[in-house]
Amino acid sequence: MTVLYTSAGIRRRLAALEPYLYSAPALLLITVTTLVPIVIGISYAFRNVMLLDPTSGGFVGLDNFRDLMRDGSFWGALKNTVTWTVSCVAFQFIFGLILALLLNRPFPGRSIIQPIVFLPWAIPTFLIGMNWSWLFNPAIGPLPHWAYALGLMSAPDNILSDPQHALLGPIIASIWWGTPFFAITLLAALQAIPSEIYEAAEIDGAGSLERFRSITLPFLAPTMVVTVMLRTIWIANSSELIVVMTKGGPADSSQIVASYVFTQAYQGLNFGYASAVATALVVLLLIYALLLVSIRQTMLSSR
Amino acid sequence: MIKKLLLAGAAVAMLAAPALADTNLRFVQTNTSDESLAVLNTVIKKFEAENPGVKVELISIPWDNSFEKFATMIAAGDIPDVAEMPDNWVALYANAGHLENLEPYLEKWEHKADLNPRALELARKVKDTAYVLPYGLFVKSLYYNKKLFAEAGVAGPPKTVDDFMDAAKKVSALPGKYGYCLRGGSGTFNAWAMMGAATNGDNAFFDKDGMSTLDQPGWVAGFQNQIDIYKNGWAPKDSVNWGYKETVAGFYTGTCAMLDQDADVLAPTSEHMAPDDFGVVPMPKGKGGKAFPVLSYGSWGIMSASQHKDLAWKFLTMLDGPQTDPQWTKAVGALPIFKSAEKDPTYADPKYRAWFESLDDKDIVPTVTPGYLPEYSLFAGSTAVKLAQQALLGQITAEDLSKQFAGILTKAQQKYLAK
Amino acid sequence: MRGSYQTRTIKWALHYGILLLFVVAALFPLYWLVKVSITPNDILYKQGTDLLPSKLSFEHYATVIGKSDFLLFFRNSIIVSGITAIASTVLATASGYAFSRFAFRGKFWIVGVMLVTQMFPLVIVITPIFSIFGTLGLTNSLAGLIIIYTAFNIPFATFLMQSFFDGIPKDLEEAAMIDGATRFKAFVQIIAPLTLPGIVATAGFCFTGAWGEILFALLLNSSASASTFPVGLLLYSTRATIEYGPMMAAGVLALIPVCIFFFLIQRYLVQGLTAGAVKG
Repeated sequence: MTVLYTSAGIRRRLAALEPYLYSAPALLLITVTTLVPIVIGISYAFRNVMLLDPTSGGFVGLDNFRDLMRDGSFWGALKNTVTWTVSCVAFQFIFGLILALLLNRPFPGRSIIQPIVFLPWAIPTFLIGMNWSWLFNPAIGPLPHWAYALGLMSAPDNILSDPQHALLGPIIASIWWGTPFFAITLLAALQAIPSEIYEAAEIDGAGSLERFRSITLPFLAPTMVVTVMLRTIWIANSSELIVVMTKGGPADSSQIVASYVFTQAYQGLNFGYASAVATALVVLLLIYALLLVSIRQTMLSSR
Repeated sequence: MIKKLLLAGAAVAMLAAPALADTNLRFVQTNTSDESLAVLNTVIKKFEAENPGVKVELISIPWDNSFEKFATMIAAGDIPDVAEMPDNWVALYANAGHLENLEPYLEKWEHKADLNPRALELARKVKDTAYVLPYGLFVKSLYYNKKLFAEAGVAGPPKTVDDFMDAAKKVSALPGKYGYCLRGGSGTFNAWAMMGAATNGDNAFFDKDGMSTLDQPGWVAGFQNQIDIYKNGWAPKDSVNWGYKETVAGFYTGTCAMLDQDADVLAPTSEHMAPDDFGVVPMPKGKGGKAFPVLSYGSWGIMSASQHKDLAWKFLTMLDGPQTDPQWTKAVGALPIFKSAEKDPTYADPKYRAWFESLDDKDIVPTVTPGYLPEYSLFAGSTAVKLAQQALLGQITAEDLSKQFAGILTKAQQKYLAK
Repeated sequence: MRGSYQTRTIKWALHYGILLLFVVAALFPLYWLVKVSITPNDILYKQGTDLLPSKLSFEHYATVIGKSDFLLFFRNSIIVSGITAIASTVLATASGYAFSRFAFRGKFWIVGVMLVTQMFPLVIVITPIFSIFGTLGLTNSLAGLIIIYTAFNIPFATFLMQSFFDGIPKDLEEAAMIDGATRFKAFVQIIAPLTLPGIVATAGFCFTGAWGEILFALLLNSSASASTFPVGLLLYSTRATIEYGPMMAAGVLALIPVCIFFFLIQRYLVQGLTAGAVKG
């Protein structure tokens, strides 16, 4: 009997398979439960799918996308999505950074203060939406009255029913919820910077602002790009706060693409069109992700 | 020999049969208040006692998300036996073939003659066939806050649209108070329809050619009234976003003095207001001395995919029979569908008089919104809301609004007629 | 010289002052939640804007615990979130290890696919998922929720675990393998225990994520026996009114475990991510 494979050869082959074996269970689960439905979901975009009409489902090619181009509500929602995403990410990042800087060095009380300021992350978003709706309602919440007393508002009104400012409500709630996420990841990144570098810079006479600019920021940058990218994708897709607090109103002034998908899917029951909108969002986010990944690569290679 | 075996086999089968007869009847409904659940649980217990081997599985889904929840269930094949059918769902599910035709069952029903003829008429809106069994009627009447009226110097409840606008103006002069609990958010279309029909003198949504009438000057005048109410501050600034619950809360907290709603608001209002502080009258009359309150209904349906249709009908007739129905309508605040039930002592309460008056008055013509159109749910649920909010906020005029309403409805109606 | 005593005092005052603002901002909405839950119904609206109600009452907690299925929903949430946390962490540990240690063909595409699954609005995939689960008999079950939550948690959990593994030098398992152990054995017995903080952090993260999920919980399951607490909260919004008192009470009760849990593990999240951040 000829030995067709040497044991060393088998081991080498297995070794090559190793990464796939380790990631297989995760990938299998994702493929079956998420990827396949997403592909089916995307396929709806090219068909006329009305949820409760069994006779629908015919192939319509790019019709849904053509309707999309002409749909004013979609473009309005897209504009809002940019406002929403940029504001949320920017402020979550800034406040998260401030928090992280404050928590970086040990101080008395840190072990109590740190968990408290991170707590908002643990609260379910829909509960946060209800909570903040209550806070913004002048009949039953204090915020409008305080804003009026501080001169920020001309009358204690509910900003959620003001088309100019309705989106502000969910943005504030989102900042409250999401700041801990950035604080945690930024803090982790800060603590990874060796203190010797700071000390050396101090000896050389660099002030704290100079140290921040030339040491902290460059060190933080590559890791932060990934975090910002992930968070942006999540936030762009998260319509829960908006749906709970304003339902996209008044007059669609706080509607974002993700909540628009929900409206088309579940009030119009037009899954074909809703899918087209969703697919458009995915394409835009993919472009964004690729952009950021290449930025990160550039940063890493120049380090 | 074979005969003996067969007999033995039959005997075993018969012994096994009761065990196999453990049927599960799945029942989906959307009323999760304590009173509603109490009535349902009593009926279920009685039904299970009278039908050994049958279990009724009560599935209560949250009202706010019931539309999408139920649509998802049906679309994915998770179909119950009996389901509550709010009136604006019926056309959708009946046209897709999900609801069982109940005419044959109704034919043989002993209580059919006791049904209020209007109830049957409403049930037959789709293809002239009864796909559902109504459990109650909802018709809009006007709630008004007696205390605020007295404070503002309003003589009595408004009888005409002009009285209504005048009362709203007077009450709004009181600091921090408003005349009308405007529903500017979800469900807003009903209010626009009622006001528009009243100023128009006619509530027909379409003319004989299937074109929408909503862009006619009579309707536009009504839309303008709504816009004026908001613009003049006769409704709270927040009300542009208000749905059902917010308007009701606005009324019983004494923030706004008038509310156009069904009898189901009586319960929460009575919890928060003393009985002498508020009253109910039929909707104010407009052009030609007529009023056109929106009439809707609640109903139960049997899903056509059910494996236990006869059993489902048996359950329905117990739930919706002349004895139990009044208890249910009391719990959900509807008007009973049985003529005999109208003499039930609960409905003798003077507060209910307004609704019965509305049903009996010849000058009060109930308005049924065009729920038979497949596009209506998107229109009423989202498009009309957005357009109405734009109008209230002054972003579009009453004429623009009427043209857009008419455009959408004409298109839908033409498509429907062409089929 | 580190600067005068005055400068240092100002710095510390600023430091604690700003932190105090953050603490108040974090706690205030939660305080309001608790306040509503202990305000009796009759003054709920009348004293709605007051900082402290004139009388306190635990009637809402009694309603929630005694008169509803809340305990059942709570138990279901614990089962679903707990198993999701364990399953996600186990699977993510394996895949995170693979991404950390190996450069293999298709890695870029696999990462890309994982990313895309996060980009697609969930609303569209619910119906296909429901159909697939329907044929597998997984609708209206806790198992269905567990599977879908795990699948959605894996991408970020993998990223977390990869980060933690990046912080452990490859030489460790390589030394073990030279000594004759298989990679798997080295992984399980040496490497994984070193990332215990990371594992705890990832599990905690997945737990909190699954705990508050509402869309799938509402749409995939219908009977009470398979519903989680977010659905329970929604049931307090009836046709006619929103019963804020019991709803907030139920919310507070549901928040206690997840807050305690998060309180305990947040330290490890920072610790673990720090190690990984070094390798960027």
